Amino acid sequence: MTDTVLQLQALSVSLPAHGGGRLVPVLDALDLQVRAGGMTALVGESGSGKTVAALAAMRLLPRGARTSGQVRFDGLDLLAQDERRMRRLRGRIGMVFQNPLSALNPSATVGAQVAEGYRLHENGSRAQARRRAVELLGEVGIPDPARRLDDYPHQFSGGQRQRVMIAAALACDPRVLIADEPTTGLDPLVARQILALLRRLQQSHRLGVLFITHDLSIVEAHADRLTVLYAGRAVEWGGAGRFFAAPRHPYSQALLAAVPRLGQAALQGIPGRLPDPLLLPPGCRFAPRCPHHRPPCDDGYPPALGDAVEAACCLFPLAPPVPARNMNVVHAPPAGAAARQDDAALLALERVTVRHPVIGARRRTAPALQEVSLTLHRGECLGIVGESGSGKSTLGRAILHMLRHDGRILLDGQPVADLPGPERRRARRRIQPVFQDPRESLNPRLRIGDALAEPLRLGGLFDRARLDREVAALLAKVGLDPSLAGRWPGQVSGGQAQRVAVARALAARPEIVVLDEPTSALDVSTQAMLLTLLRDLARSEHVAYVMISHDLAAVSWLADRIAVLKDGRVVEAADTATLLAHPRHAYSAALVATAPRVQDGAGQVAAGPVRLPSPPA
Amino acid sequence: MPDAGSVSGTGMRVRLPGLAALSGSGSLLAGIVLALLVLFLCFLVPLAWRADPYALNPLSPLSHPSRAFPLGTDELGRDNLARVMDAGRATLLVALPAAAVTFLAGLLYGLASGLGPRLLDAAMMRLLDAVLALPGLVVLIFFAAILRLSTPSLILLLGLISWPPLARLVRNETRAVRDRDFVQAAYQMGGGFFHVVTTHLLRVMAPVLAVNFTFLVGEMILLLSALSFLGLGVQPPQTSWGGLLEGALQLVALDPWWLVLPPGLLIFASLLSASLIGQGLLARQGRA
Repeated sequence: MTDTVLQLQALSVSLPAHGGGRLVPVLDALDLQVRAGGMTALVGESGSGKTVAALAAMRLLPRGARTSGQVRFDGLDLLAQDERRMRRLRGRIGMVFQNPLSALNPSATVGAQVAEGYRLHENGSRAQARRRAVELLGEVGIPDPARRLDDYPHQFSGGQRQRVMIAAALACDPRVLIADEPTTGLDPLVARQILALLRRLQQSHRLGVLFITHDLSIVEAHADRLTVLYAGRAVEWGGAGRFFAAPRHPYSQALLAAVPRLGQAALQGIPGRLPDPLLLPPGCRFAPRCPHHRPPCDDGYPPALGDAVEAACCLFPLAPPVPARNMNVVHAPPAGAAARQDDAALLALERVTVRHPVIGARRRTAPALQEVSLTLHRGECLGIVGESGSGKSTLGRAILHMLRHDGRILLDGQPVADLPGPERRRARRRIQPVFQDPRESLNPRLRIGDALAEPLRLGGLFDRARLDREVAALLAKVGLDPSLAGRWPGQVSGGQAQRVAVARALAARPEIVVLDEPTSALDVSTQAMLLTLLRDLARSEHVAYVMISHDLAAVSWLADRIAVLKDGRVVEAADTATLLAHPRHAYSAALVATAPRVQDGAGQVAAGPVRLPSPPA
Repeated sequence: MPDAGSVSGTGMRVRLPGLAALSGSGSLLAGIVLALLVLFLCFLVPLAWRADPYALNPLSPLSHPSRAFPLGTDELGRDNLARVMDAGRATLLVALPAAAVTFLAGLLYGLASGLGPRLLDAAMMRLLDAVLALPGLVVLIFFAAILRLSTPSLILLLGLISWPPLARLVRNETRAVRDRDFVQAAYQMGGGFFHVVTTHLLRVMAPVLAVNFTFLVGEMILLLSALSFLGLGVQPPQTSWGGLLEGALQLVALDPWWLVLPPGLLIFASLLSASLIGQGLLARQGRA
């Protein structure tokens, strides 16, 4: 192909193991092309080696890394260039990192940082650099760029910061842009805007984009080629249209099935974990987790895949006509939504307002939560969706009584805040939290068994043998092996840690569990399993959930009712089915329109162009 | 087209195999061995070497090390080995409790400030700044000069001027930990203040606290030695390593190396062992 601008050929990388001198293979013979004006997506879960591939292409790997293969750019093999030439070439390949807040220097103005590459590579004067920066910021859609030039990164919103990063990457007219998880951590609507921007630049500059992500749904509408990585090895690659219509590798298929979509009846996780890179299975690396596993899978890979344009690295690729997926966008009533509305509300919020105290400043700030009124019935799941800054986490913390608030929060008709001390403590125990980051929610110096025993002890159980039994039962309840009790939180995977957090919440025998973004720190495959677990537990434990998330698809999968939060107010609250079918507020409609949904056939993509009711963030 | 070549990273770093071990458990081990040696000399050797540190031998002042006096004698003919061991006991029996007092004071102050309401925290931190602004040694000299310092009051005084840095550290750690999700979860499951402090805060801070305690011990030995060197620490006739050094300094024209080296080396060895243990703990913590 003549218009290939970046090509990785048999790229392999080994990194030195932490502490020791051993090399750990992290990327194995990756082939990949990025065409001018095209977008190639590199998809994989954490630990798959996708970021390493990007860093290897830019020669930015840490010292001691061993690389083999070729990275061809502009007719040159980048791996064979000396450092001085490489430095010059890096201007021609732009790079956008995941977290713009750490990729931007907080103490330099945005203008200076956007122009930094230009000044380094083009030797422009100060005035020229300024002009160029204004031009670039305008191009990526920062309103009034000349005025914003001297602002600092913290004065921009998350989406705008990512735009600034993209502007900086464009400074030297690159031919390729490598974007490493540029939308992770952004709200879905903002993420779509960033993608639309990349797509526009890709067309106007004939820019080749290598888009690295763990989120299949985000690239669905935009990538033209796609490579799926698993444990350092490409398992499937080819045109995006064909891929989404008919994934051939069991892992690709499982990954697609794991993304929650509107209208999906069942979520399918991928049990098991990534193989240890030092103990890779002899044959297919996915074999130990593969539902279609057969004995020959343990022996090897299909021969001669190297230069195939479309291929699945699998001895038994799934047949092209994919098993029929749910064709109609019908909301499957989760958990058993029926017959709950008749009894009195378990939890009622009456005009709850929360103002965050502003340190030092006298000026009034907009309340984080304004007069929110909601009810929750026994065994019900109430979903709260909204963008970051909409106050949804504040709402969660207010329900948990962790924040001072105006208005009333009634538990069984009683205002918890007015109860005397000991009774208030008992009332608080009836509402338990599950937080977003499982690492943060477990004390790193408390063994998992002790973490689970903590709520039991506080509940008055001190007998060692009974505690051990209860802990084992809790672990079993969330699908974990009881032997995990002896491990430290650092020794388990993120998904396991989050299950422990769920088990700990259940240990206090709550009536309500507040789930604050319970899946957003997890990999897609783990996410699906956790959601399924939560749904099963809702039935078996008779708990009510308040599920807070920016992911409408995930929330709708679990929730009976959904409240949409914007700028601290509930703009719409309705039955899940009603909200998905007939969103009344413009903002809810935009959320529903952009959420990934079950497709009705090959290659057709649901997410259309995004029209936001408010100016872009 | 060039063959797929093999390129290693941009540079090579020489890796010394022993260095990693030495920076971790090695230094911890070395520190503990050194500390045991010092303790052995100060507390167990005197059981075998029963010379009286205060007995005068007017016939043999300033004698070189010999079989009768393994470390020689001072200007009054006192047995220097016995003096060094006695001074060591005096030094450690003040420095270790002083470190403990400092540690407790710093810990409690830091916890109270870190967990208290914002106004209390602000007030306590300003007070801490004020104490920190006082030059500790000068304050010590002031009190030592106007009071006759008994051992307990010396311990208290050392603790009184040394707690602020630790208190600030504990306060900052507390602030960092107290809003973490697992602490919030502990409150939500009905845990009270005491529960949160013991189950969560202290556990999370334990490594930092252990490291800082070892450094405090070293600091106290040094501070006491400095004080004694100025003649204000442990009161005569008892003396400390710093006092011995000061005594030897008076006679420096006579070059009594046997009086200078032993207390000097022992101060050095105890500081080194405290530092090694601290570094070792730090390295282990980094690995965990």
